[in-house]
Amino acid sequence: MGRKALAIAMATVLCVAGLTLGGCSDESRSDSSGLEPYKIGVVVSLTGSYSGLGVPEKKAIELEAELLNEAGGINGRMVELFFEDDATDAAKAAAAATSLIEREGVIAVIGATGTGQTMAMRTDIDRAAVPQVSMAGGSVVTADFDELVFQTPWPNRVVVPFTLNALAAKGITRIALISDSGGYGADGHDVVLASAAAAGVEIVADETFNLGDTDMTAQLTKMRSQSPDAVLMWTAGSEAAIVAKNMQQLGFDVPLVGSPGNGRVEFLDGAGSAADGFSFAAGKILLPEAYGEGSEAFTVATEFIDRYTERYGTAPDIFAGHAYDAFLIIADALGRVDGDVTPAALRDAIEATDGLIGVGGTFSYSADDHNGLSETDLVMYRVDGGQWVLDE
Amino acid sequence: MGSAELLQFAVAGLKNGSIYALVALGFTLVFGSTGIINFAQGEFFMLGGMLAVFFVKLGLPLPLAVVAGVLATAVVGLAFERVALRPRRDSGPLALIIITIGGSMVLRSLSRHAFGGNELSLPAFTEGASIVVAGAAIERQALWVWGLTIVAVAGLSWLYSKTRFGRSMRACSLSHEASRLMGIDTARIVMVSFGLAAVLGALAGVVVAPLTQTSFNVGARIGLKGFAAAILGGLGNPIAAVVGGLALGLVESMSIAFISSTYKDVIALVLLLVVLFVRPEGILGRATREKV
Repeated sequence: MGRKALAIAMATVLCVAGLTLGGCSDESRSDSSGLEPYKIGVVVSLTGSYSGLGVPEKKAIELEAELLNEAGGINGRMVELFFEDDATDAAKAAAAATSLIEREGVIAVIGATGTGQTMAMRTDIDRAAVPQVSMAGGSVVTADFDELVFQTPWPNRVVVPFTLNALAAKGITRIALISDSGGYGADGHDVVLASAAAAGVEIVADETFNLGDTDMTAQLTKMRSQSPDAVLMWTAGSEAAIVAKNMQQLGFDVPLVGSPGNGRVEFLDGAGSAADGFSFAAGKILLPEAYGEGSEAFTVATEFIDRYTERYGTAPDIFAGHAYDAFLIIADALGRVDGDVTPAALRDAIEATDGLIGVGGTFSYSADDHNGLSETDLVMYRVDGGQWVLDE
Repeated sequence: MGSAELLQFAVAGLKNGSIYALVALGFTLVFGSTGIINFAQGEFFMLGGMLAVFFVKLGLPLPLAVVAGVLATAVVGLAFERVALRPRRDSGPLALIIITIGGSMVLRSLSRHAFGGNELSLPAFTEGASIVVAGAAIERQALWVWGLTIVAVAGLSWLYSKTRFGRSMRACSLSHEASRLMGIDTARIVMVSFGLAAVLGALAGVVVAPLTQTSFNVGARIGLKGFAAAILGGLGNPIAAVVGGLALGLVESMSIAFISSTYKDVIALVLLLVVLFVRPEGILGRATREKV
């Protein structure tokens, strides 16, 4: 009797587990045609330091996939998503890639959120020859070239020269640089030093801080002694607001210029009045009118912003935009594949992407450019009264 | 380098140093009564700030929200000791230390789920431009940091030396067994130490939140700095914790001034190793002589 009860209990557990696990995929596989759905894996940071980036990314991809499936999918086939959380951990990102490729048999991987996590997935991507579209902004993602790996954000090697040129055009040539010692800051730091001469600016001070530092007045005091025209800051986290506030507190009254990583509401909240006058380069999603009202890019961006805002109650940030673009690029390529949709055919179709209008810019990939964006996709913003405005 | 600049570096160092000192006091307090290092101390710092923000969002005025944040963290500290540590108190220090590491992960995850993954802001305690003294700018919030550090260390010194409870705490640090035989309720002492450590951590967390914003993952890094400060000064003595914290903050800021910001943490940690090599008991620590 005891054994029978045990068997029943185990069967119940298995049923429940089967229902909960299978439930999600059954739902998204609700196509009438009976054709196999296209399986796409998504690796995002839903926990850990980058959760503020990964969560909106997941929301944007879910929303767009749902919309696509409601409209009948691609070539009559639905899209099925498999999400994995890498917890902002490179090792977990690699494990997630293995699981998506081996267990789920995905034909493409979107991810990861961060540069380190993206790079950690490369071994698996290469071994299985599955195309990957990353939402991370590190230059290394596409500079360390891999024919399978594509990227949606503007990498530092595009943003930094754009920013330096914009400063030089204003007559700001003596620049003090402060950057974080993490991946994003260090990458930006190296690109700034490498491209300063070409832009005609001089880096007169070069200071760093660690993520988690609580005060940068010492670095800023040292920078001030070089009497720069402006401070250029390359970091994406909460430390950006500390730099802005410390400058205000010191009365260090030169323009503060940042990176796309500062295009977050949390920065405005944290820096308060110290953010006034702060400028940074980013794509046009923050203010779609930068595309020119009535243009196709304007329509694409505003429709996404409206849809996302209606569903989630908050406007999408630039990270949701990167995720939108990653999904769009794969969906667009899937529609262009002739014959069998294999990972190899899909890769070729992604590389053939030409003039695809996303929310981060217009993507044109080629055999040696897997970022596909250019400086024309960027615009300078300035903070005025706690809001972003276009910096003319 | 002008004297105004030098003073500015000193101000920056003392401000950071006081923050480290407040966290270090929590380490010292728990070590004093239990002989273990509480690696969840950084999470008390995180909870203080996060809960204060939470109470502000509920609509409480700032002073009340700050007090509520600190008290709520104290409750978490007491509960943590009661639920996680007391059932295993006879397992030896290593097991207890590992429990505190596990506890810190639990607190961090819970906070992440309760308050979200983004950084949150708390308004400054007193608004206004910074005060300029001899060419060096001092943020108003920095005055709060220093004020609270002074109050905390004075309060703890008084507790340790002048009250019966404080003497019981010191007795516990020498021997739990003997203290219990002398009629001291050691379980209560340990629990109250955790509550007080949580208060100190939370105080640091709320006073820093207006300067830096706060988020669910700020605890680990500040915990490491506070731990280093406590070791540097000498564990078990509140004055030593403050000396260690201020020394660490000043070394960091002077490293930036005279060497390089890239190496400030390396320099601070090398200094810590040197001090431990020369004086294993810390700058102000008292060497324990094992009598056989």
